Amino acid sequence: MFNNTPLKRFSAFGYLLPALSVILFFAGYGLYSAFRNSLHLGEERPLFASYQELLLESPFWESVSISIWVAFSSTVISLVIGIFLTRRLVRLFQRDDWKFAAWFPMLLPHFVAAYIIYLLFAPSGWFSSLAAQIGWIDTMSQFPVLVNDPLYTGVIFTYVFKEIPFVILMMLPVYQEMDLRYEDVSKTLGGSDWTVFKTVEVPWVMPVSLEVFLILFVFVLGAFEVPALLGVTYPKMLPVLAYEWFYQAAWANRPLAQAMMVLLSAVSLLAAFLILRFTYKWRSHWAMRREDV
Amino acid sequence: MKKVWFLGVTASCILAACSSEDEQLSADELAEKDWDAIKESAEGAEIGMYMWGGDDSVNRYIDDIVVPHLDENYDVTLERYPMDAPDFLNRLMSEKEAGDQDGTADVLWINGENFRTAKQNDLLYGEFTHLLPNMEEYIGDEASFVHIDMGTEIEGYEAPWGNVQFAFQYDADRVDDPPSTMDELIEWSIDNPGEFTYPNVNDFTGNSFISHMLYSVADSPDELEEYDEEWLRANEEELWSKLNDFQDSLWREGQTYPDDLSQLDQMYADGEVSFTMGFNEHRAESMIEDDVFPESTETIFLEEPGSIGSTHYLSMPFNTTEPEAALIAINYMISAEAQIKKLDPSLWGEGHVLDSDLLSEEQQAEIEEHLGDDAVEADADIILPELDSRYHDWIIDRWEEEVVQ
Amino acid sequence: MIAKRDLQKIFWLLLLFLLFIAPALLMFWRSLSPGAVWPELFSGEWNFRAWQVIFSDGNIINALINTVLIGAAVVLINFLLAVPAAYGLARFNFKGKPLIESVMMMPILIPVLAIAMGMHITMIRIGLTDTMTGVILIHLMPTLPYAIRVMKSGFDRLSITWEEQSAVLGVGRFRTFFTTLIPLLLPSIRSMAVLVFVISLSQYVLTSIIGGGQVSTLPLIYYPYFNSADSAVVAGFSVIFVLLPMLFFLVFEGLIRLYLSAVRSA
Repeated sequence: MFNNTPLKRFSAFGYLLPALSVILFFAGYGLYSAFRNSLHLGEERPLFASYQELLLESPFWESVSISIWVAFSSTVISLVIGIFLTRRLVRLFQRDDWKFAAWFPMLLPHFVAAYIIYLLFAPSGWFSSLAAQIGWIDTMSQFPVLVNDPLYTGVIFTYVFKEIPFVILMMLPVYQEMDLRYEDVSKTLGGSDWTVFKTVEVPWVMPVSLEVFLILFVFVLGAFEVPALLGVTYPKMLPVLAYEWFYQAAWANRPLAQAMMVLLSAVSLLAAFLILRFTYKWRSHWAMRREDV
Repeated sequence: MKKVWFLGVTASCILAACSSEDEQLSADELAEKDWDAIKESAEGAEIGMYMWGGDDSVNRYIDDIVVPHLDENYDVTLERYPMDAPDFLNRLMSEKEAGDQDGTADVLWINGENFRTAKQNDLLYGEFTHLLPNMEEYIGDEASFVHIDMGTEIEGYEAPWGNVQFAFQYDADRVDDPPSTMDELIEWSIDNPGEFTYPNVNDFTGNSFISHMLYSVADSPDELEEYDEEWLRANEEELWSKLNDFQDSLWREGQTYPDDLSQLDQMYADGEVSFTMGFNEHRAESMIEDDVFPESTETIFLEEPGSIGSTHYLSMPFNTTEPEAALIAINYMISAEAQIKKLDPSLWGEGHVLDSDLLSEEQQAEIEEHLGDDAVEADADIILPELDSRYHDWIIDRWEEEVVQ
Repeated sequence: MIAKRDLQKIFWLLLLFLLFIAPALLMFWRSLSPGAVWPELFSGEWNFRAWQVIFSDGNIINALINTVLIGAAVVLINFLLAVPAAYGLARFNFKGKPLIESVMMMPILIPVLAIAMGMHITMIRIGLTDTMTGVILIHLMPTLPYAIRVMKSGFDRLSITWEEQSAVLGVGRFRTFFTTLIPLLLPSIRSMAVLVFVISLSQYVLTSIIGGGQVSTLPLIYYPYFNSADSAVVAGFSVIFVLLPMLFFLVFEGLIRLYLSAVRSA
């Protein structure tokens, strides 16, 4: 299926080059200067002092864990619900108007989505007022704390609301491509829904799911707006902490903030590389199996 | 790499008619010109002003009063660019690093720690206030805010634009006996759990609330006049224990705090809490008028420790291309005429920076008229000076550890 | 059977209505009727003050036009860059491909704040700060990685034989691209366009840094209000942010229909 001759490789680069050079041109110097600013160049302190300091800060580690919690749970919930919806609706989605309906939340910018969640779920929000009108609660404080709560429930709600359509968008082609006959065969042989999913769909769904997981996870890890609106004072998510350090105390903490962001970028890049390499191998593995059949 | 830049620069010259030809004047060269010459060279200029744009009444004041006046009298076109101080300082920093002398904005709205950051990083134009006729005519140099901005020497780098007092707003329908001292406020919060909180100290207002606490811990305001680490070491215990004492009875048991003043205002507007606070003792008026705050909103000052007064300023960036026109604009904005109009609650409604000894009787009468009888005004004896911005840093540094964690 | 289908349809429609359209309507309501105090669901008052504030801003019309123009240009450039890149990634295998793919995702892996100042300096050096061109180019950063991923999943879905068949039939590559490939890729192109437009529409930090406030866009006017307690104005602005992408989507659909009928008749 694939040719790996030098000529082919050359032409592949021809296709990739324009996008690649735009990205490197604009982000390249930005990344370089971020890294340079995180070092203590020409100062008496050791070159990597801000990294050292960062790793010894306990607020930093608290932020790491809350960020991972939020990114992981919102990504997994979006993926599970998204895949479930795609499976249920794959036939319905063959009609464009249905597909459009499922995408609606994608049309919302993130900060608008966060604002909607606030209006709905705040202690003074619509659901709380509704509960009071019905007579379920008498005072605002009886309403469960769902925004600005230490578990970041509101933030997770927002991301799930926003990212499910993205999951559907990425999974739908997979299900449409997947030969539905496989499924029928397996069902006739008496497989349950779960076995069908495990044996037939996973090989197809796995690489795309991982890719979607990666995109969403790093996005949530690095995004500022939603946690800034719906988060708590302590612990903060990493981007909010970085923002604060970046601006406070006459910019004295900037190297620390830059060190945090460089570290975050390095880890994300590494994770991206590993996941993409894994999906790449998985795909060629299954492509060969398919050709064997 | 160099080659690439060169190509880029050539390309950009074609795109955007290579950098402007008129030489930019330094502060020293400007000083040699007299005011009439400055007026003359400002004619026809287009200038931009960086300012926070989230208050409709402030925007209206600029658009309806300042812009038309400059246009009609000096042929200067002023445009406002909505941008927060930290954002435009960042921008100026990059421009400085890249050696860009062709700045976007010519006037900056700035104060306190942002002024300190800008001055320390050489992002400002330089000494210019001595060039402004209205500085001498209406403001003089008696007041301390002319010389020092939160502990930073001003040295003519910025001109005062407005004075505001810190005040608390409460909902009279929910608060029967409003507190008049800090201790009463603490007591009130303990008696009414969940109904009071203050913004995170990274927010200017939240930080200033803690500054009031510092004042209430101090035996006399003089103790805090200059930044004194030893005093802090000796007294911080008392400060934190005071804050921790009523933390459990704050909104959300003090586990989290509103991220900034706007969030507190929002919570107050929604009825989640009974108090909000902030600089500008008149700020509730337009909020009530716009249906944001309930009609039963009242404003109070704490008699003990008092009310911190804060001044905000106008300055110029290092790379303004129209310094003359910027001077003209700033000179008008600090004039008695513009300052008195600014008092009008239906326009902006905030305190002036004028020295009443320098004003005519007519002007003084106008000020009285705007302030009216029922307007909120702090008595002179409860006004506290703003703290050195190093206190501000210290609060940020210690608060989270001592109070939240 | 039919009844069950209809029921199912109604269920999903209702769910989608509740999830999306209802919140937007509630926001619209809030912009017209501010000042509801808990536990009131709505205050009895009505006024257009929020919309007056929004449209009395001298820059708003200008900002709306800029926002749409920038968004459309960003979508177009994304299309031109992402389609070849996605094709390259979907159709060729080569050593170091995961690395190249990671680099292409870089702009969304790095926090904007970290590289904003460096990118600003690059822009100053090529003289594109304070210009529409500069803002359009910088919006490629947060959008291009998504565009490439979405288009790549589109190419992955197409079997290669379509291109082979047209080659066998002797149709030129160029023609194949416009008459065969693009119509087949339409679902992906549509998703790409909407996603990119929405991301471009929500950029505040990058637009303010590169455009310097001179290139006025909707978020630049909206953000300061977002930092105020004036919830009627915030709600009103949010409604505009919901309407713009929908409008864009409708226009885009119209263009697609035109394109398809042109291709068919050609």
